[in-house]
Amino acid sequence: MTQPSFPHAPASRRSVLTALAALAVLPLSACSSSDGSAASAESSASAAPADGGTLRYAATGSPATASDDPHGGLGNESDILRFALVYDVLTLPGEDGGTRPRLATSWKPNETLDRWTFTLRKDARFTDGTRVRAADVLYSLRRIADKAAENYGRLADFDLDGSTAPDEHTVVLATRTPMADAPRALESVSFVVPEGTEDFSRPVPGSGPYKVEGTSSRTSVLTRNDDWWGKRPHLDRIEIQAVADPQARANAVVSGQADVAGSVSPAAVKSAGTSARTQVVRREGVTEYPFVMRLDTEPFDDPRVREAFRLAADRKALVDTVYLGYGRIANDLPTPYDPSTPKDLPQRTRDVEKARRLLAEAGHEDGLSVTLHTTTSYPGMDTAATLYAQQLADIGVEAEVKVEPADTYWTAVYAKKAFYTGYYGGISFTDLTRVGLLSDSPTNETAWRSDTFDDGFDRAMATADDTERQELLAGIQKELWEDGGYVVWGTGDGLDLAAPGVRGLPDGPGFQRMFIDQVWLDR
Amino acid sequence: MILRLVVRTAALAVAATAVVFAATELLPGDAGQLRTPGRASAEDIARERERLGLDRPAAVRYLDWLYGVVRGDLGRSLSGGRPVAALFAERLPATAVLAAAALAVTALLTAAALGVTYLRGGRGGSAATGLAAVPQPVHAAVLGAVFAGLLGWLPAVSLLPPGASPLTEPEVLVLPALTLALPSAAFATALLRGALGDALRRPHVTDARLRGLPAPLVLRRHVLPFLYVPALQVTALLAGGLVAGTALVETVFGYPGTGQLLVSAVAVRDVPVVQAAALLPAVVLLLGMLLADLAAHRTASAPHATRGTSTAVPQNAGGSL
Repeated sequence: MTQPSFPHAPASRRSVLTALAALAVLPLSACSSSDGSAASAESSASAAPADGGTLRYAATGSPATASDDPHGGLGNESDILRFALVYDVLTLPGEDGGTRPRLATSWKPNETLDRWTFTLRKDARFTDGTRVRAADVLYSLRRIADKAAENYGRLADFDLDGSTAPDEHTVVLATRTPMADAPRALESVSFVVPEGTEDFSRPVPGSGPYKVEGTSSRTSVLTRNDDWWGKRPHLDRIEIQAVADPQARANAVVSGQADVAGSVSPAAVKSAGTSARTQVVRREGVTEYPFVMRLDTEPFDDPRVREAFRLAADRKALVDTVYLGYGRIANDLPTPYDPSTPKDLPQRTRDVEKARRLLAEAGHEDGLSVTLHTTTSYPGMDTAATLYAQQLADIGVEAEVKVEPADTYWTAVYAKKAFYTGYYGGISFTDLTRVGLLSDSPTNETAWRSDTFDDGFDRAMATADDTERQELLAGIQKELWEDGGYVVWGTGDGLDLAAPGVRGLPDGPGFQRMFIDQVWLDR
Repeated sequence: MILRLVVRTAALAVAATAVVFAATELLPGDAGQLRTPGRASAEDIARERERLGLDRPAAVRYLDWLYGVVRGDLGRSLSGGRPVAALFAERLPATAVLAAAALAVTALLTAAALGVTYLRGGRGGSAATGLAAVPQPVHAAVLGAVFAGLLGWLPAVSLLPPGASPLTEPEVLVLPALTLALPSAAFATALLRGALGDALRRPHVTDARLRGLPAPLVLRRHVLPFLYVPALQVTALLAGGLVAGTALVETVFGYPGTGQLLVSAVAVRDVPVVQAAALLPAVVLLLGMLLADLAAHRTASAPHATRGTSTAVPQNAGGSL
């Protein structure tokens, strides 16, 4: 079972809009020479990339959630990886957190930031030889929007009925409200298929760097698409295996049966870490298990209780125990990796005395009993709750940890119970706000309702100037830090395990890790 | 008699699927709901349920499924939309090969253990009982640590490269098959040891021994006929149990069979897939039992070994697999 692993990347400190402006004034020739393929972190910058070879990638995936439809639920990383290699997307998360062009070469908003004009490449072709046209893009985006129920409303903020394709290579996308970060919302998951495609049970022509040679719910074999418009990929072949168990994925690399294991647990990395046969790719700020308190439910309706609960957390102990050190402590802001994070807030630290005093003031001098829900969906969620319950005992709170079945946690507990262990997978602050922090947000898990916060967010989203917008967003986060319903004690790294010769694996945020078209083998 | 056995087998198979359906029904949440977390509205969820046909009463859905199976249509997966038959076709050969290999190893180990018991005159065998009590994950971990980790003789995981089958890569079968076979063999030995002891205590066996007949001849002529039917019954139980019980080893070793399909289908309440996955071992087990019963029937009606079925194995023993 997967819970929204929101694909969005933190935006760069450098302005998205500044980058856009620069792109807009560039002559077209410069644009087309810009290479829109995935940015990759060169693990070894010394050697020149070598061509050829087959990469065997063991990715998270279980057979029942396997899907051929790039616009649906995306339950399996093994499928996302295939889609990312076979289809083109409009934009990509860049190395520095900014949005990079891919199928869209440039974009420009109107005055009110609710209408965005995207210019598409003219040289992209599907593998059946037909050109990629604006109609294909619009069809694909509409199909994603129609499947909102399955894909967490990925494009819910776009008004696709009001969007148009004025010519073969331009789409004008309307947003429901001013949306300064629209290009980012299209990053990674805007897979483009030929207009009218409904049947995905047979391979559908894509316009990406690889094409499908064969696929099943267990393996996919991809070969290089030599007609791709972008920078020629190095690998001849990529074999993707869906392996559900994280330890089995790690073992596959250690024993030489796979070259890369995606998303393995800290424990697996620790046990493989002593081996010279593997390298570890760390992606920062990828997992976060915040403790979520509902402001409309006792005892969390009292700000003193919430503050006491935040002061009870021994953040370093939690990071060391849950992420085995592959992570960093956080300061109760739900998206500490986001460029909008305020820099001038003091780090909250453990203060048992003050926490006890606050609880007494709130009328709980005789102690307090709460139930802390958690589950085993992601490695360490249950450990986090158990350890935090022990830390709460020190301030006189008796927290009973209830481990719920992973299958139903995200429908029965998430955004419903008063006190539970949440999960975020690198969501951006603006996305988190839309889904969970505005008064009318669909899954307002902390029951956070603040007019000043709502107004501040609307103002920020209608602000074209990037610096100014980030300041506005930082401002409303201070209110959240003071008074919100989150105990955010730390973030964990995303961890991939790879054979020593694998070079150029992406270590950027969000779904950037799926765009492995520039990986090469150093043999 | 034969007709009655066949009808009983069919009825039991249907009953087994009804029980599995009811159990899946009792789990909280359904495919419509679990497919639509996050920002889905109540209307979205309702629409998804309607699309998947989950708004109909449980009895109607079950009978609809059963009617489909009778016509040879296993339906479509609720989560991926693929035909269930195709999902199984991709994975069934791997599981069948694994179960067959495990059964063969089980038979060898059991025969060896019983041979030792026979040579010791029916005594011993507590080692087998002890081995049967060790949980499967422990077998998997210990075997993996020794043969893949320490000795490095075998691959630690049993991934199959694209296009490969377990027959072309037999080394990937060894650890999963051993993990399955060790507890099965111990279980079979424990069950058949009783039958062997009974046979050895029979007067004509003692008599044959006293007459100085060589041990192998006594075994072949006077002991084995009494073990024939119990062994068939145990084999039927084990075959069903092995086909049903591959989920754990498939997950631990990353072996791409139907067990993984079952586990992940339960997690997303993909009822048609769960039903098909349950039907398979039920049918294998019941067909095996049917064959064993038919064999017993034949043996019993033959004039010589009239008491051949006297040491029948408890019918419910498969539950402990």
